[in-house]
Amino acid sequence: MRLKLKIWRQAGPGTAGRLVDYAADHVSPDMSFLEMLDVVNEGLVKQGHDAIAFDSDCREGICGMCGLVVNGIPHGPDRGTTVCQLHMRRFRDGDTIVIEPWRARAFPVVKDLVVDRSALDRIITAGGYVSVNCGGAPDGNAIPIAKEVSETAMDSAACIGCGACVAACKNASAHLFMSAKISHLSLLPQGQIERYRRVVAMIEQADAEGFGSCSNEGECEAVCPKEIPISNIARMTREYFRALWVGGR
Amino acid sequence: MSSRFGVFSSSVGTKILIGVTGVALFLYLVIHIAGNLIVFLGPAAFNRYAFVMEYGNPLLPVIEIGLLLIFLLHVYKAVTMFLANQQARPVAYVKKKYAGKPSRKSFASSTMIFSGLWLLFFIIIHVKAFRFSPEYPWPAGGRDLYRQEMENFVSPLTAGFYVLSMVVVGSHLWHGIASAFQSMGADHPKWTPRLLTTGKVIAVLMAGGFIVIALWAHFVGART
Ligand code: SF4
Ligand code: FES
Repeated sequence: MRLKLKIWRQAGPGTAGRLVDYAADHVSPDMSFLEMLDVVNEGLVKQGHDAIAFDSDCREGICGMCGLVVNGIPHGPDRGTTVCQLHMRRFRDGDTIVIEPWRARAFPVVKDLVVDRSALDRIITAGGYVSVNCGGAPDGNAIPIAKEVSETAMDSAACIGCGACVAACKNASAHLFMSAKISHLSLLPQGQIERYRRVVAMIEQADAEGFGSCSNEGECEAVCPKEIPISNIARMTREYFRALWVGGR
Repeated sequence: MSSRFGVFSSSVGTKILIGVTGVALFLYLVIHIAGNLIVFLGPAAFNRYAFVMEYGNPLLPVIEIGLLLIFLLHVYKAVTMFLANQQARPVAYVKKKYAGKPSRKSFASSTMIFSGLWLLFFIIIHVKAFRFSPEYPWPAGGRDLYRQEMENFVSPLTAGFYVLSMVVVGSHLWHGIASAFQSMGADHPKWTPRLLTTGKVIAVLMAGGFIVIALWAHFVGART
């Protein structure tokens, strides 16, 4: 396959970036999207040019490190898929592909397609933890919890913190990410101690980081590689109501 | 939590307020259209209805002021949220596309701020025309609201403006009805999908109902 690529190049955080055209001429349909970029980079390095910077780690859709906006959709056209799990067979010979970084005030560009997502870490630090000593693995039946509840918690825990929800949202809101973490912890017995403090602290932190609010469009849910539903955002609001009622910290 | 009031300035608190005030305004709209449909029963019934609502109603000033405050809060919160959200993405995407199902994004959802501002403009003109304009007395008591309405719709320009504005109402409700419930944290595996559909149906019925009234007043009522 031969592809035309338009890739965002930006030297550093404060500088202006722009789309640069590249040709990818020897692309196999079996390659992953990131392997395709690796090949482009090899060519660039051979010619003595600067390689295109992009993030990745596990390359199997579980770590949340990768993240590119491919033709206007974070993580590309496939639903429930990280961009490292996107394959070139999804494209056709001669296609033009526009590749941009996550764009949000809270995610400053480090270089090219790499953005600083530590704002999400600070949201977790603000409340996404449990302070009970978990000790050894408890007996499965010792913690009474309904199957549907534990499954909903588990589905929320599947969030890999990639930030695609922020990238997709017209308001660059982190509500889906926060709501996944808050749902995961508030549904489980271990998360009860900080339950009310957590939701308030995480929301305050996200607002302070400069993420936007939520307009209930659900673009986030559509691009989330773990298909976290926006029903979690409604749950986060209910948790917020409860915290308000109980009085918070 | 620093204060219970400061909570409503957070991103989630803002949503809650816009949702709650939105539902209140929607409920008012339901009463409004129900009352307006009485126009089809003729001047006597319509003016009688207006009389009962306006003169036989000691709560009227409270309701009016309450409604105004709810309206202003809705507008204020929505505008400040919109401006803050604009700040959240200083560099725009070169290419951005609809992500596909299950996204609820629509033309209506993307233009809420514009439909809202249009309605703000419309409501000022509308309230001026029916609440703060010279009135005709009606012999049986109160004012001849029927005549006032028919005269309002004589001009094709006014009728056209009303019809267009009601399309905008429909658009605002198309996203707004279900969105308000989500904003208040109301979500249910079975009821939310139904609400999403019902909200759109109600939006169409509501806009359609008002449009029929405006067109009828222009083409039929104003000429008889
Ligand atoms: S909610 Fe989904 S899109 Fe958002 S950070 Fe988690 S995994 Fe990524
Ligand atoms: S590189 Fe780990 S999820 Fe893509």
